[in-house]
Amino acid sequence: MRYLRWLLVPIVVVPLTLLLFHGFGRDPREIPSPLIGKPAPSFSLAALDGTRLTAAQLHGRPYVLNFWASWCIPGCVDEHPVLLEAERRYGADVQIVGVVYNDSPAAARTFLDRYGDGGWPQLSDEGGRLAVEYGVTGPPETYFVDATGIVRGKQFGPLTMAAMDDRFAALLAARAAQ
Amino acid sequence: MLPTFGHIALVIGFAASLFAAWAFVIGGRSGDERALSSARRALYASFALAGLACGVMVFSLLTHDFSILYVARNNATTTPPFFSFISLWAALEGSVLFWTLLASGWAALVLHRYRSRHRLLMPWVGATLAAIDSFFFAVLVWPGNPFLRVTPVPAEGAGPNALLQNHPFMGLHPPLLYLGYTGLAVPFAFAVAALVTGRLDEGWLAVVRRWTMIPWIFLTLGITAGAWWSYEVLGWGGYWAWDPVENAALLPWLTATAFVHSSMVAERRGSLKAWTVSLVIATFTLTLVGTFLTRSGVVASVHSFTQSAIGPWFLGAIALALTAALSLLVWRLPQLTGTGRPTSLLSRESAFLLNNVLLCGLTFAVLFGTLLPLVVAATGGGTISVGAPWFNRVNVPIFGALLFLMGIGPALPWGRASWSSVRERFGVPVVAAVSAVVAAWALGMRGVGPLGTLGLAVFVGGIMLDELVRGARARSRYRGEDPATATWRLATRNRRRYGGYLVHFGVLVMAVAVAVSSGLASQTSATLRPGESVRLAGYVLTYDRLVVEPLAADPRVTEARAELTYGGSQEGRLATALRDYPNSTTAVATPSVRTALGEDLYVTLLAYDTATRTVTVRVFVNPLVVWIWVGGAIIGIGSTFAIWPERRRVPVEASEAERLPAREPAPSVEGA
Repeated sequence: MRYLRWLLVPIVVVPLTLLLFHGFGRDPREIPSPLIGKPAPSFSLAALDGTRLTAAQLHGRPYVLNFWASWCIPGCVDEHPVLLEAERRYGADVQIVGVVYNDSPAAARTFLDRYGDGGWPQLSDEGGRLAVEYGVTGPPETYFVDATGIVRGKQFGPLTMAAMDDRFAALLAARAAQ
Repeated sequence: MLPTFGHIALVIGFAASLFAAWAFVIGGRSGDERALSSARRALYASFALAGLACGVMVFSLLTHDFSILYVARNNATTTPPFFSFISLWAALEGSVLFWTLLASGWAALVLHRYRSRHRLLMPWVGATLAAIDSFFFAVLVWPGNPFLRVTPVPAEGAGPNALLQNHPFMGLHPPLLYLGYTGLAVPFAFAVAALVTGRLDEGWLAVVRRWTMIPWIFLTLGITAGAWWSYEVLGWGGYWAWDPVENAALLPWLTATAFVHSSMVAERRGSLKAWTVSLVIATFTLTLVGTFLTRSGVVASVHSFTQSAIGPWFLGAIALALTAALSLLVWRLPQLTGTGRPTSLLSRESAFLLNNVLLCGLTFAVLFGTLLPLVVAATGGGTISVGAPWFNRVNVPIFGALLFLMGIGPALPWGRASWSSVRERFGVPVVAAVSAVVAAWALGMRGVGPLGTLGLAVFVGGIMLDELVRGARARSRYRGEDPATATWRLATRNRRRYGGYLVHFGVLVMAVAVAVSSGLASQTSATLRPGESVRLAGYVLTYDRLVVEPLAADPRVTEARAELTYGGSQEGRLATALRDYPNSTTAVATPSVRTALGEDLYVTLLAYDTATRTVTVRVFVNPLVVWIWVGGAIIGIGSTFAIWPERRRVPVEASEAERLPAREPAPSVEGA
């Protein structure tokens, strides 16, 4: 009986710790995208180099829409080499498209000059209309669209090398299955 | 070069605080004075080193040194110096750095102040505080290193969080709150020391109450300043939303308040000791839980910092602190059983006891509501959020009951009261309360909440005033002093009691202001073309023009400003704006608040159209809001009055005694 009071310690500590520990696996701001499995929003936007790109032009080929900004440090800075590597590995099969999010074209240009321009189109989303249609909460966010124009996946936060390989492989597998 | 210097300061600070903890334990076990004095010096050094690291960070922010990741993320070349400075605590790593400075500062202050008193307790107090400091230093050296570098160095930084660079209050609210949070480690350290040494006497209670009150004052002011900031900045017209971070600050405040009350029973009757110690432990644990919730990205909130690696560290610290303190408590439990006998239901003890039950009920309700989303997610129930209506519904009745107790508690004597004496004391206040409610009703005030709170407040205020007047009159009669002198001397001879009354008075002011402002506010929104007007509660607001231009202080920020003229019980011009920060996804509202003693006119811009020059504004008329801040200030003044050191009767001797180090160890003499 006298030792029973020692039970008080684990009774308080263990459940509290477990409960708080459970919170780690998730990011409360990560919202599953309602777009997955649905047709991708269409767009017609000017790129930084002045050319125009529409969603229709990309039809028939999987594409990856990467929302980024020069002020998004370190997320977009960390992610940039991953995207360059993705272009090297998968560029033949998948079109990467950058969308400059809430940023000036000049600042975006400076960013690309500094960290390396992979040569894929960089769209200027003035007013953030495309970002709103995709439901972007903050850069970087990346959407994976298959060859038929259906959204297949969403990366919340920066892509890592491992995540990038998984995501691109899944996208290409979706194409192979058709 | 400089950032490396800052990092090295943190590494040495970690080593110094770890050494201090070890040397305090050695000194505590052996009583070796050399070990204790070197432990103290190591603790002072760790404070200085934290100061040095903060200095390096502030300098790097002011000079926009983007080679430091923290600076690149939270500063831009266009950031004004004031906001660069306060960016020290605007994001995760910096705020932990600032936190460490304050925590080690409190530790150094306490150890210095009691260097020749409480000789048995202090080594363990020092060891606990040094151990806590070393945890914070460790977080800064490993997972939360604020001096991480970026290569290549960016040409421009992201700039501070848009919400946090929008109002100077960010310079006030976090430091006050952090001073409160970090200070609550001191009573915890005293609790650990008392449990280790088994010296849980009246002297201990007096020190711990004082050192709970000091951070409590900062916490109170910090919470009030936070509510004020939220009101002035967020543009929704309110000041409290039961956001997880607000709750995180409120939880330790509630348990600390419960402690302040229960400790009086413990002191007076020798009972409730284990309970009182538990409250101290709970308070400190709740400060850690609150920090964990907001700094690990576990709950979503206006305040939550980015998800980070420091979460597991904090979790480990919570588990460790709680396990250690509870084990000590369980070990000492047989010695802590009270000597006091159960008393009459109608006594001040009972009132205090009930106060504790209610405060703990509030703590539990708030904790439950805050953690419920986590529980539901953990059990696979998906994502839920617990909203303000739930919190209001559960907590408002408890607050009402506490308010009522605030009146009857002081009216009851210790031990046992007779019904007739209670009736005698209640007569006048009850009449005053009823007349106040009737008068307010006649003047047009409606609603159960506002009228009920007003009635309760007048009742409680009446009892306190009655008590003060009786005391002063008696003193004036027996000593022949004039009423003003008699009142002042009465209050300064019983600082704790009358300071407490002043705190209660501040709470009453705040309660009435909260009830009236939330119950009787009016609001409307309107889309206006230039020259059009909107009317609300006797005010007429006429929209004049729309100006869209870069902000003078920071040209990267575009401000769209609607200029209006207003007439009514206040008159003048105002401008309310939406600001577009380059690093913010949404435009940040800059509400315009015109404050008067009776009511605030609060105008916020919701949307604008540059083509048609139309604007959509929301207008609030919030009665009595300013009295919430006044109430907070009264609480601050009252509690400072309560803990102000009593004037020594023989000042010369006392100061000499203090100057000379106590030659003989006098462990049996324990005094605050």
